[in-house]
Amino acid sequence: MVTKRIIIGTLIGAVVAGLAAAGTAVAGEPQPWQMNLMPAQSPVMERVHEFHNLLLVIQVGIVLLVLGLLGYIIFRFNAKRNPVPSRTSHNTLLEVIWTAVPVVILVIIAIPGLRLLYFHDRAHEYDFTVKVTGHQWYWSYTYPDHGDFTFTSIMVPDDELQEGQPRLLAVDNPVVVPVGTNVQILVVSDDVIHAWAVPSLGVKVDATPGRVNERWLHVHEEGTYYGMCSELCGINHAFMPIQLEAVSPEAFEAWVEETREEWASRQNAPGVRVAAGDGGADVR
Amino acid sequence: MAYGVAAGHDEHAHHPTGWRRWVNSTNHKDIGTMYIVLALIAALIGGIMSWMIRGELAQPGVTFIDNYQFYNVLVTAHGFIMVFFVVMPALIGGFGNWFVPLMIGAPDMAFPRMNNISLWLTTAGFVLLLIAAFVGAGPGTGWTVYPPLSSATFHPDAAVDFAILSLHVAGAGSILGAINFITTILNMRAPGMTLHRMPLFVWSILVTAFLLLLALPVLAGGLTMLLTDRNFGTTFFEVAGGGDPVLWQHLFWFFGHPEVYIIVLPAFGIISQIVSTFSRKPVFGYLGMAYAMVAIGFVGFIVWAHHMYTTGLGVDTRAYFTLATLIIAVPTGIKIFSWLATMWGGSIELKAPMLYAIGFIFLFVVGGVTGVALANAGIDFAMHDTYYVVAHFHYVMAIAAIFAMFGGYLYWIGKMSGKQYNEPLAKAQFWVFFVGVNVLFFPQHFLGLAGMPRRIPDYPDAFVGWNMVSSVGALITMIGTLMFFYLIWHTFRYGKTAEANPWGEGATTLEWTVPSPAPFHTHEQLPVIGPTGQPRAGSGAVSPAE
Amino acid sequence: MATETQSHPFHMVEPSPWPALATLGAFVLAVGAIIFMHDGPPWIMAGGFLIIFYTAFVWWRDVVRESRSGFHTSVVQHGLRLGVLLFIASEVMFFFAFFWAYFDATIPAISKTAHDVWPPEGVIPFDPWGLPFLNTLILLTSGATVTAAHHAVREGDQKASVFWIGATVALGVLFLGFQMYEYGHAAFGFREGIYPSTFFMATGFHGFHVFVGVVFLAVCFFRARARHFSPEKHVGFEAAAWYWHFVDVVWLFLFVVIYWWGIVGYVGPLV
Ligand code: HEA
Ligand code: HEA
Ligand code: CUA
Ligand SMILES: [Cu+2]
Repeated sequence: MVTKRIIIGTLIGAVVAGLAAAGTAVAGEPQPWQMNLMPAQSPVMERVHEFHNLLLVIQVGIVLLVLGLLGYIIFRFNAKRNPVPSRTSHNTLLEVIWTAVPVVILVIIAIPGLRLLYFHDRAHEYDFTVKVTGHQWYWSYTYPDHGDFTFTSIMVPDDELQEGQPRLLAVDNPVVVPVGTNVQILVVSDDVIHAWAVPSLGVKVDATPGRVNERWLHVHEEGTYYGMCSELCGINHAFMPIQLEAVSPEAFEAWVEETREEWASRQNAPGVRVAAGDGGADVR
Repeated sequence: MAYGVAAGHDEHAHHPTGWRRWVNSTNHKDIGTMYIVLALIAALIGGIMSWMIRGELAQPGVTFIDNYQFYNVLVTAHGFIMVFFVVMPALIGGFGNWFVPLMIGAPDMAFPRMNNISLWLTTAGFVLLLIAAFVGAGPGTGWTVYPPLSSATFHPDAAVDFAILSLHVAGAGSILGAINFITTILNMRAPGMTLHRMPLFVWSILVTAFLLLLALPVLAGGLTMLLTDRNFGTTFFEVAGGGDPVLWQHLFWFFGHPEVYIIVLPAFGIISQIVSTFSRKPVFGYLGMAYAMVAIGFVGFIVWAHHMYTTGLGVDTRAYFTLATLIIAVPTGIKIFSWLATMWGGSIELKAPMLYAIGFIFLFVVGGVTGVALANAGIDFAMHDTYYVVAHFHYVMAIAAIFAMFGGYLYWIGKMSGKQYNEPLAKAQFWVFFVGVNVLFFPQHFLGLAGMPRRIPDYPDAFVGWNMVSSVGALITMIGTLMFFYLIWHTFRYGKTAEANPWGEGATTLEWTVPSPAPFHTHEQLPVIGPTGQPRAGSGAVSPAE
Repeated sequence: MATETQSHPFHMVEPSPWPALATLGAFVLAVGAIIFMHDGPPWIMAGGFLIIFYTAFVWWRDVVRESRSGFHTSVVQHGLRLGVLLFIASEVMFFFAFFWAYFDATIPAISKTAHDVWPPEGVIPFDPWGLPFLNTLILLTSGATVTAAHHAVREGDQKASVFWIGATVALGVLFLGFQMYEYGHAAFGFREGIYPSTFFMATGFHGFHVFVGVVFLAVCFFRARARHFSPEKHVGFEAAAWYWHFVDVVWLFLFVVIYWWGIVGYVGPLV
């Protein structure tokens, strides 16, 4: 039972952390009482932030406008203050305004929105490719440009967590990329639909059987970035997180060597270990 | 005018009694009442499921559901029940049946027998869905039933088949109901009740019925393919056989997006009636209001893939769907501002139905503006399949549409039952529910932005804070819901006798010209409607109470 | 107020047990079908069918009786026609789903996973200009005969209307016979992938609709013989005729899109 301790801990943590969510130590991990998007760690996510800030202003503005009008109307036109209702039911100018102004606002939204869409769709040049495969209920990663090795990435169960490993987010073998490179991500699935997502890097893409989906990744800073499977995929949908390590190019080369060797010998032995699958009828 | 009708029907047939009155009913009011009862029962079941969900999510780790398949089944059944067996039966089947004929001055629906089968098919669909939840491991697929998870490989037992047939059966009922409403509205309006004099609630049901008529069969086709994929070896959605799982998503959302307007358009209609009544003013910009709904219905058919931005659609396709989706904000804005303008200059009485209407307007905008964010494919992937989406759609459905239901119920209960609800109690219920749902769903925006996925029974510890707040909100909402049930009981037990028109001069539609409770048959003498939408003096005498 | 007259033209239908009974049938059918699909016996499902057939019969019998007793004023008739047209509109959307599935598998602009080669490798399709074309001609002819029947009904020529309706029924049966023959000689099995899936689903549901149309017209045949239709009042026949035209048009689409366009560019043997 994790619960009580965590709750108390979190509540205290919250008071300390306040609402300024973006803890500095682990930028790629959600923080208690976080209220906004994950801090941006990639070019895409930076633009997502910019765009979201614009949206937020518009959203809050519209909501406040309506709230303010409602408040004023209730105050000014209640039966006590205004016992005799007017009979106006038309005002062409007003109607034109409240049709035209939203159109303008939507254009203001659509232009940066579409630019962002085309920006995040694909990069112009890739340094290399990582192929991501979704399985019930873990991910596997293949590096076709580095000797085509494959390894599996499985959630660390609660009772094996090391100090500092976040529950339900940490995995045994994180996927590793070097900082400052454009990585092409190809996402496929082995069984049902999953979705590979790392919020702080601005990626979320479905892993659908029968098709290969492409996205790109560019990490600014070294660090650990977490995400979770984002399409319902069965009993253990909650338990196939993504842990991505961004490292220096040198460290990446070293990691490639080591991992390739290690997994070459383990080829054809995918670790189909169902991580936190305690309980649940066996519906695969 | 007298229409010769050869066969004599006797007194008895006009006032059937006992169980036959209900089971064999061909009376729009009785059928409407049964729809409302169905919705109330379903609301309790769907509500209990949602409170179990929030209970499980109140803390990280296993709170009390250690069977994660069961959690998924709860989520699935909750979504289905609320959408298909609470909101649709209440707003369309219940209020639509009761008040469309009353408002247009028709003696009943066009096809009374078919009206009855719509009700029973909906009920049968509900029973099938409940069975589904208890067969084998249950359908743990989400209400979107995406294959391959919903295929025979991953859900081998009969649960998903029951869910599929549940929707087939209920869907057939809804299609027949749609035919009935359209025919009634187009063919049975009282003399002088032109289309442009119809109350906006009738307009909303008309547009909704067209959406049902054209969207549901596509779902039925998709469900049929899913069923044969599962049981007869076709491969529409099976990659191994050359099929395509994404095809299902297209078919589902081609239905699913119109479906969300099917839910909210009748709510719009109710809100228009309430706002006008309690402001004691005619609706502002009536034609704009009516045609805004038509526009919403129309555009609603060409935006479906905004639910599929992460599936790997081409970038130009996503750009198109972004633009098309954004357009819907314009007619919706027209509605919002026209409601405000209706209130402007009015003489507003804050009776409980009006509180709900005002709450609707405000909270629908909150839900609407998050929809506008989601509409942008360029940013949707940051929120897709997170609690941001859950927050969005609960604001527009679980808050706005449910508010319209409560509002409509309080507005019309006097007419339906002859008993008036208790005002202070209803106001208290409003405030509890209002606070509850906001505490419940507002923090889910934060969870979503921070990246918490939907449909998970356990979550990383960082998410505990807002989840706990949300669960507290669910508790308050639960109290508000129970208060509502108490209010119903209280009305029937202690309610004061309602007058024909308890709302005064603001209530101008035809249902207020008949006594409360509305007699078994109304408008047997067709009213003749004048240019103001009011019946001409002397016309439309109500049939004498026999 | 036991009335001989009422002051409005609408039909206030008596309470009826059929809707609830039909729903029971649908429920039994659904549960029975699931039991059958999960290796259970078929007769629960059959029982559901029986209940539905029975209620369909008595229900429509009541409608005909009500019509004969004068409840169907011209306003009610207008409503009935509207209802039929709306029903046909919903049926169009039902087929829309199956055509969508077909295009999803064949047109790359619609789906990334559409097949480059259609029919897929190894599938031997039908020769459109054989039996399918014959069936097209049959249905087109039946469209003409049903229109002839319509004219006859409108002119009050009972003999001719019975003849032309009968001819339409016969053509419909002929179509179904050929369709069954064609299915029996298909070079691909039902379970052999996306081609037969789309093919059989679309043409199969169309065939089912032809069957329903035939039954509908057969009822009209007997009603015409019993002189139920007058030049002014023949909604039942009109509904059947409209339905038949709808079935006809769906077939034209099937023929053009699936049989013919589906093998454009295909080289190889045909059945
Ligand atoms: C009643 C139901 C309802 C309603 C009315 C809406 C209304 C809208 N919805 Fe929502 N939606 C759902 C129910 C509903 N939705 C559901 C159930 C889902 C999730 C399904 C699932 O995955 O399970 C969903 C999901 C959903 C998504 C997919 C998210 C994802 O999965 O990634 C999107 C994306 O575009 C979206 C958009 C919109 C938009 C643009 C509107 C618009 O109609 C909103 C328009 C309203 C306003 C904008 C406010 C009022 C306007 C003004 C005050 C004028 C001025 C405003 C501007 C200029 C902006 N919705
Ligand atoms: C209209 C639809 C509707 C309504 C009302 C609700 C109401 C509620 N929902 Fe809803 N919910 C959905 C539709 C709805 N939901 C859908 C479609 C999903 C997605 C499913 C999926 O992912 O597949 C979902 C998913 C969903 C989740 C996400 C689960 C997950 O992803 O893991 C959660 C979690 O908190 C939740 C909670 C709640 C709660 C606490 C309420 C409470 O507000 C409940 C309290 C309200 C009531 C009990 C109803 C009151 C009504 C009446 C009393 C009837 C009155 C009748 C008349 C006047 C005639 N819901
Ligand atoms: Cu994999 Cu969810
Ligand atoms: Cu939508």
